[in-house]
Amino acid sequence: MTAALALPTRRVEEWKYSDLARALGDAGFGEASAHVAIGAIPAGVEVFDLDEPDRPGWVSAHYGELGGNAVSAVSLAKARGGIALRVPKGKIVEDVLSLVFSGEGHVRALLVLEEGAALTLSEEFDGHQTRNAGFEIALGPNARLDHVRLSPASDAVQVEEISLTLARDAVYRGHFANFGAKLSRTELAIALGGEGAEAHLSGVSVLSDRHADVTTQLTHAVGRTQSTQLFKKVVSGKAQGVYQGKVIVAHGANGSDSRQTAKALLLDSRAEADLKPELEIFADDVKCAHGAAVGDLDADSLFYLRARGIPEQEARHLLIHAFLEDALTDIANTDLREAVRGAVSAALNQVSA
Amino acid sequence: MLDIKNLHVAVGGKEILKGLTLKVEAGQVHAIMGPNGSGKSTLSYVLAGRAGYEITEGSISYNGEDLGALPPEARAAKGVFLAMQYPVEIPGVTTMMFLKSALNAQRRSRGEPEMDAIGILKTVRKKAAALNVTEEMLKRALNVGFSGGEKKRLEILQMALFEPKLAILDETDSGLDIDALRLVAEGVNSLRAPERAMLVITHYQRLLDYIVPDRIHVLAKGRIVAEGGKELALELEAKGYEQIVKDAA
Repeated sequence: MTAALALPTRRVEEWKYSDLARALGDAGFGEASAHVAIGAIPAGVEVFDLDEPDRPGWVSAHYGELGGNAVSAVSLAKARGGIALRVPKGKIVEDVLSLVFSGEGHVRALLVLEEGAALTLSEEFDGHQTRNAGFEIALGPNARLDHVRLSPASDAVQVEEISLTLARDAVYRGHFANFGAKLSRTELAIALGGEGAEAHLSGVSVLSDRHADVTTQLTHAVGRTQSTQLFKKVVSGKAQGVYQGKVIVAHGANGSDSRQTAKALLLDSRAEADLKPELEIFADDVKCAHGAAVGDLDADSLFYLRARGIPEQEARHLLIHAFLEDALTDIANTDLREAVRGAVSAALNQVSA
Repeated sequence: MLDIKNLHVAVGGKEILKGLTLKVEAGQVHAIMGPNGSGKSTLSYVLAGRAGYEITEGSISYNGEDLGALPPEARAAKGVFLAMQYPVEIPGVTTMMFLKSALNAQRRSRGEPEMDAIGILKTVRKKAAALNVTEEMLKRALNVGFSGGEKKRLEILQMALFEPKLAILDETDSGLDIDALRLVAEGVNSLRAPERAMLVITHYQRLLDYIVPDRIHVLAKGRIVAEGGKELALELEAKGYEQIVKDAA
């Protein structure tokens, strides 16, 4: 492995809470290529297999161009194949498009929404193999993407870097439901590159004995842009839940509006939550708020429910659901929201609250 | 129905109730009056089973059963209901969903069949109307954004819905204006029944103009220091707690 493609160690600040080298062991990610499949292709969506020669202009214009970090660079260098998708100008796709990542190794995906296009994307995983996925998303002016990522519990190492750029008035809504892995890292690098662009991120993690790290870097590159983040974690057993969120308001990005909240419920003395919201502001006249809180279930609430006849275990589950609820209501698509709710309920049944 | 003997209760290692004895029969309404810090809320919490309220001596017998040995949910299922002074706000749980969960949990515990969503909705609506609890309140998160009066009305709605055998009302009058007080009192009075006992805990005599008790007990420094009929409330109002406590000593 060349120095340029070295994986980060815990000495790198951004990887402090996720020991990738240790989780991977000597084998590393390996050299294999993982797969990404699409369900039914909704009418109007164009698909290109990245394994094929003669990449069309829209692929070469965006592929390997967006942000990215050391791990993403590795997948870019090693992945063969993968998928590129385009929703052409003005096309509103009604059906949900589902992408399913599977197999072991590196894999890439690219999604381009041209001006005024709209899509609902469901991202799903086969959780059993070690995987490093790199996903680039480019939203043109006025494009709208609703993205729901649901990763099941896994005993493998699962890393995904999502790089996203938004042109003027583009709106991105992303929900990240995560049930932990041996090491799970979801990294989002988002650039609000045009006035009126908005990114709304939410996520829930329900962890028992596993690890899940959501790391976001959100840049307000220009003014009059908006971002919200709401991440909730339920951490039990020996699990570790990590949220690192950096919001950067670039020089001159006046009138930016950013809100960032991360909360964790710790249900076990051995459980760990590391919440680190950060703000770097280089502009004037901005509205930025951030906060983080770690706690246990509220004793008053628990007593109130039990005094009304609700058994302790059920009362605890009710309060955990209630804790997660506002992060779930951000999912606009009803079917996807119910799918995430179902996964959350199933995971909570495994949690000894 | 309720037979409390020489009850001593400590909270955080500090003794609050110091030998309280009290008997309430089915069909009766008893009032507990007392100054701040006398142990009124401790009594209500220990009856409902709140964690941290430790019975160090004495006993609470409820229909012949040792109430102190039961977790709060078992007490509720057996008909003990505490209308709380400060109902808790729980974002993320709608009021209707909470009522349904609680009602069915109690029914399950008693071995009764659960009620379906429509059946519960119908029952709740009927009882809610009488207490001026609106449809909109039922859809909101439990107690979140409710005014003081709305919270108390919802407590009484729960009492009407769960049909407890022993209802304890802890300072239900606090924070209510006269109209809200009247509405709540009417709700409580409509639930007076031969099979039901009520313990009305209050600082002020005002509530007892509307909910007229069969018996009044004055609680001071963790003990019952005076007892009497409904006229005792007026005496308290005239003389003040200090004098009554002195007279009793």
